[in-house]
Amino acid sequence: MRITILNGNPDAGNQAFDDYLRQLAAALQGQHDVAILDLRELDIHYCTGCFGCWVKRPGQCVVQDESARVCRAAVQSDFLLLASPLIMGFVSALLKKTNDKMLPLIHPYFAVDQGEAHHRARYERYPLLGLLLDKGPDSDDEDVVITTEIYQRTALNMKSRLAWAGLTQEPVQEVAHAIDRL
Amino acid sequence: MRLTVFNGSPRGRGSNTRAMLEHLLKGFDTVPGNSHEILYLKRVQETERLVQAFAEAESVLLAFPLYTDSMPGLAKAFIEALAPLCGREHNPPLAFMVQCGFPESAHCRYVERYLQKLARRLGSRYVGTIVKGGCEGVRLMPERMNRKLFARLEGIGRTLGQDGRLDPEQLRRLARPERYPAWSMPVFTLLIKTGLLSSYWDRQLKENGVYEQRFAQPYH
Repeated sequence: MRITILNGNPDAGNQAFDDYLRQLAAALQGQHDVAILDLRELDIHYCTGCFGCWVKRPGQCVVQDESARVCRAAVQSDFLLLASPLIMGFVSALLKKTNDKMLPLIHPYFAVDQGEAHHRARYERYPLLGLLLDKGPDSDDEDVVITTEIYQRTALNMKSRLAWAGLTQEPVQEVAHAIDRL
Repeated sequence: MRLTVFNGSPRGRGSNTRAMLEHLLKGFDTVPGNSHEILYLKRVQETERLVQAFAEAESVLLAFPLYTDSMPGLAKAFIEALAPLCGREHNPPLAFMVQCGFPESAHCRYVERYLQKLARRLGSRYVGTIVKGGCEGVRLMPERMNRKLFARLEGIGRTLGQDGRLDPEQLRRLARPERYPAWSMPVFTLLIKTGLLSSYWDRQLKENGVYEQRFAQPYH
């Protein structure tokens, strides 16, 4: 599989999280083609809700920042792993703002999905999604459940499904095996 | 009661969130002695001042549009900036408003759970969450199209102003349709096929001269 890991760790001082991702990528490499995008190193602006990506420059953000790299990597991957420490009970603002900027990947037109209104697909295929969270001392199981359920919705809106979710509290090898079996 | 309102829409003053808040606050302010102030989270360079305003507030309403199933990135950045206030005594009671472009309110229920937990995390009294779907066009619609929506928001604001709470029955009525019944889905699918639901986007695509490129796949 082609695997892209979006590293949503905003804190360069939190080396443990970055190390975990590097070890995970190493464990998957060989079997898979793995790339990590460190989001904090990218120039990604906040989505302004202008819908330019739907009505002015279809499929691309009108602000030409490095979110285009994220969009391209997502479309060209089989598995997109969203990774973030839990901060105030949710993924980082860094990962969230990046997710907001992936709106160009879908189409403005409506479609019915699972008995609800959603948006129509822009591409024929989308990557399976995964969610890797670092629970940390300030979070509990409820935070993990709430965040995971929100990302199940995000996957549905990205014409995909959340194929795997886990914690960095689990050993790297086990997480690598779980992703390997997808 | 003094209500400090944080508008978490990246569109700021031009947002549907603002149009809705206006009517909610009109109801809130009908109660003698009540007042409010509105602060915009899009002014990210003023985060320190925004956090200060939160810390000093008597009561707070945080409002935002649903962005990919939760709060917009800049609203999450504000929430992260509130972290030092966790565990502090006397954090203000917290009410929320979440609106989305999807026609059903059900899309907003997942982040509602997060907001409830957020209030607990801050040690704030959770006042409740006002939820409403079908709001993308609010700021563009003629006044009469929004009459019912605005009247309901005003009613909810009045209750909040009088009793410091949100009335579940008023919230339920506002949120309709919570979701569409299964039997109506074929009708919805048919409406999609007629192109009627796409006209809002098609008009803009044509105005911008990119209608023919509407299915572009630039990252293929």
